[in-house]
Amino acid sequence: MSSEGLQMTEPKPVPGLFKRNPPIAGEAEAIEAAKAGDAEAFSKLYALHKRRVYTLCLRMLGNVSEAEDMTQEAFLHLFRKIGSFRGESAFSTWLHRLTVNLVLMHLRKKGLNLVSLEETINPSEEDAPKRDFGSRDPQLSGSVDRVALERAVASLPPGYRMVFVLHDVEGFEHNEIATMLECSTGNSKSQLHKARLKLRELLRQPEQLTQQTGLQEAAR
Amino acid sequence: MTDFIFPDPETMTIAEFEQYLPDLFAATNGRVSTDPRLQSFLQKNPDCAALVRDLETIAEHAKSLFEPVYEPSDNVWDNIKIKLHQNNNEDDLPLVRPL
Repeated sequence: MSSEGLQMTEPKPVPGLFKRNPPIAGEAEAIEAAKAGDAEAFSKLYALHKRRVYTLCLRMLGNVSEAEDMTQEAFLHLFRKIGSFRGESAFSTWLHRLTVNLVLMHLRKKGLNLVSLEETINPSEEDAPKRDFGSRDPQLSGSVDRVALERAVASLPPGYRMVFVLHDVEGFEHNEIATMLECSTGNSKSQLHKARLKLRELLRQPEQLTQQTGLQEAAR
Repeated sequence: MTDFIFPDPETMTIAEFEQYLPDLFAATNGRVSTDPRLQSFLQKNPDCAALVRDLETIAEHAKSLFEPVYEPSDNVWDNIKIKLHQNNNEDDLPLVRPL
């Protein structure tokens, strides 16, 4: 994959991400060794970060095969560029940003309109969240089952899913998402809100979630 | 982008609340339900309060998805190793000393 257009400068430290990305024992040494071409260091860095990178790819793409391909690309890209990592931000933050950028570039190349703005601004009747202030459901007010939430997120339209994962799961700010997705911050806020409304709807109606998940699996 | 001006909760209608909600979430750092400026509005409009609670619950639980739970197949690392060694003579990959 070409790295053209991929921003590889170290991101400015983002406090939220730093909190979630504490230093890992042995990582600094592995980075320095990898810069010198030590294959074992590459292996160690892969072992330390593979789950994080793969899970991120899987959540953004919703497809195992593509997620594995992008994980591979992310690490190959990492190994190409590791010499430029100067430690100004957490390594995991750097790798995380690199992965997000690669996935977004991959989606653009596939012709999937990022944030699928058309889709999310004018989602199909079925996908659009319903405006529903009434009929409170006490189940949601307490807690949400993680597995159910995972399934609901996976069943979101790609554009909704992208903004939800970047903001609510990964902790990016709206202005960062707007830059990454080349949209306005207002658009990012709006898409996030629609994503949450859609999730609420799905979580309140488990049968709808089962139906949507089944349809998606059948389409794959 | 225009800066969001916090609405007057005393005169805000439910429709306006719905319209402002994405900005209200951003302006309150996701804590609409506890923002003192909105307490009286939410008390007067329990359905809006329920909606807010649900959306906050979803956002809160989304954080739990941050922890990685999935593992790529062994093929991924196998392919990376092959590509790293294949590209040993190319400029854009580091020269890898074999394991």
